[in-house]
Amino acid sequence: MTAKKKILLIDDDRDFLMATKIILESGGYEVFLAEDGKSGVEMVKSVSPDLTITDMMMETWGEGFTVVSKIRSIEAGKDMPLIMLSGVDLQGPYQSFEPSEESPRVDLVLNKPVKADDFLKHVKRLLG
Amino acid sequence: MAVNTDKGLILIIDDEESIRDGCRQALEKSGHVVLTAENGKEGIRIARESKPEIAFVDLKMPSISGMEIIDILSRDIPDIVSIVITGYASIVSAVESMKKGAYDYLPKPFTPDQLRAVAKRGFEHRDLKMETKMLRDEKEQMEKNFITFVSHEMRSPLLVIEQYLEALRAVAGGCLDKDANDIVERCNKRIQGLKALVEHWLDISHIESGIFESEKNPVDISGIITRGVEEMAPLYHIRELSIETDISEGMPGVIGDEESLVRVLVNIMGNASKYTPDGGKVSIRARHDEYYVSISISDTGTGIPQEKLPFIFEPFYRVKGKQEETRGSGLGLNFCKRIMEAHGGKIEASSQVGKGTTFVLELPR
Repeated sequence: MTAKKKILLIDDDRDFLMATKIILESGGYEVFLAEDGKSGVEMVKSVSPDLTITDMMMETWGEGFTVVSKIRSIEAGKDMPLIMLSGVDLQGPYQSFEPSEESPRVDLVLNKPVKADDFLKHVKRLLG
Repeated sequence: MAVNTDKGLILIIDDEESIRDGCRQALEKSGHVVLTAENGKEGIRIARESKPEIAFVDLKMPSISGMEIIDILSRDIPDIVSIVITGYASIVSAVESMKKGAYDYLPKPFTPDQLRAVAKRGFEHRDLKMETKMLRDEKEQMEKNFITFVSHEMRSPLLVIEQYLEALRAVAGGCLDKDANDIVERCNKRIQGLKALVEHWLDISHIESGIFESEKNPVDISGIITRGVEEMAPLYHIRELSIETDISEGMPGVIGDEESLVRVLVNIMGNASKYTPDGGKVSIRARHDEYYVSISISDTGTGIPQEKLPFIFEPFYRVKGKQEETRGSGLGLNFCKRIMEAHGGKIEASSQVGKGTTFVLELPR
């Protein structure tokens, strides 16, 4: 039996973390939680997750991008697949809000809330 | 550069040297800093540069008249308090200048005490004016903060509840029986309703706070209709409702915010679908004349009783007897009305019970 894949979840809303953790665990993953960007980055180092999922807006708009830059700058996070979750509807007035060329690489941006089935499909695909 | 003074900065614009000097002496005695100008042009230059709190302006001067000066001053320096100096013969024009924005007038000849009394009143008026402005700014800021607050504090918990329901489905979906599944579905529906309410409320707050005003651009009417129809197509397909569009040739554009106009159309089309039985028809017609563009949306639905029509654009008004399935935010039509009004247009409805309802959106070209 192979070891469970490890997923790190970073979000400043504890309930959102719990709900999303339940969904991911139902897909058979081992889930680690971080309630802020800083401890998230630390956990990338200590846990070496196979995938990280981070909120786009924590404390300040775009804080998620800072977290992603930090993660990309460390060895364990350089090539790790990364999903960004946005509480802002990226449709309508915000459709133009996309990470620019210079922004660190994000593999997928999804809107909150996530549908369990779709979410697990995306995760599975990114984990190869 | 603004001159710094606690006792207030006063500008005297008068072509008579004796008046300028007299005023300066009298006002400096009570601690004011006084600047003077012998004509309108110089006066306006000094005013723009030094931003005095009060300007005394002689009404009768060569070249630029006092009236024009007051006009320019109140436009360039909205906080300035202008006071007119005038001869007895020109009381009428003094009154006229007060209509133009002067606060008070001082008839010639006047004593230093009279001058100081008028200046004192002027400063009191200015203090009140500044206080009002500050309170208004504070109120606006509070409103904006409130919008941000609500948008975050109301959306976040809703989003979390939705996510928990998804989690529940993920862990127990298979074990839930039909009744339990229905309960989850009902929770979900009510959350969607509450989310729509928050979104509509935010949209309306945006219109009220004027944020909306900055987003107006040329908009293509048939583009709006196409977008609206595309967005509603999946729902209409499920309900087996047909959509018919008829856009007249040479449809002119309007100036507005495309996103909000699409939202209006989607709202009306959504309403039409709620009240039209499966298999019904919704027709969208766009017409124009010399001054207006109009879009009418007609359904073959249940209709709205005549006596209820006048109230349907009021916030939270609901036509009673509705099925629970069709419960909306209660703000949809009010949102539409506000959007149309923000475009200088209007929205009207006519209806026949049992036959259907027609909404007409009218926009100036």
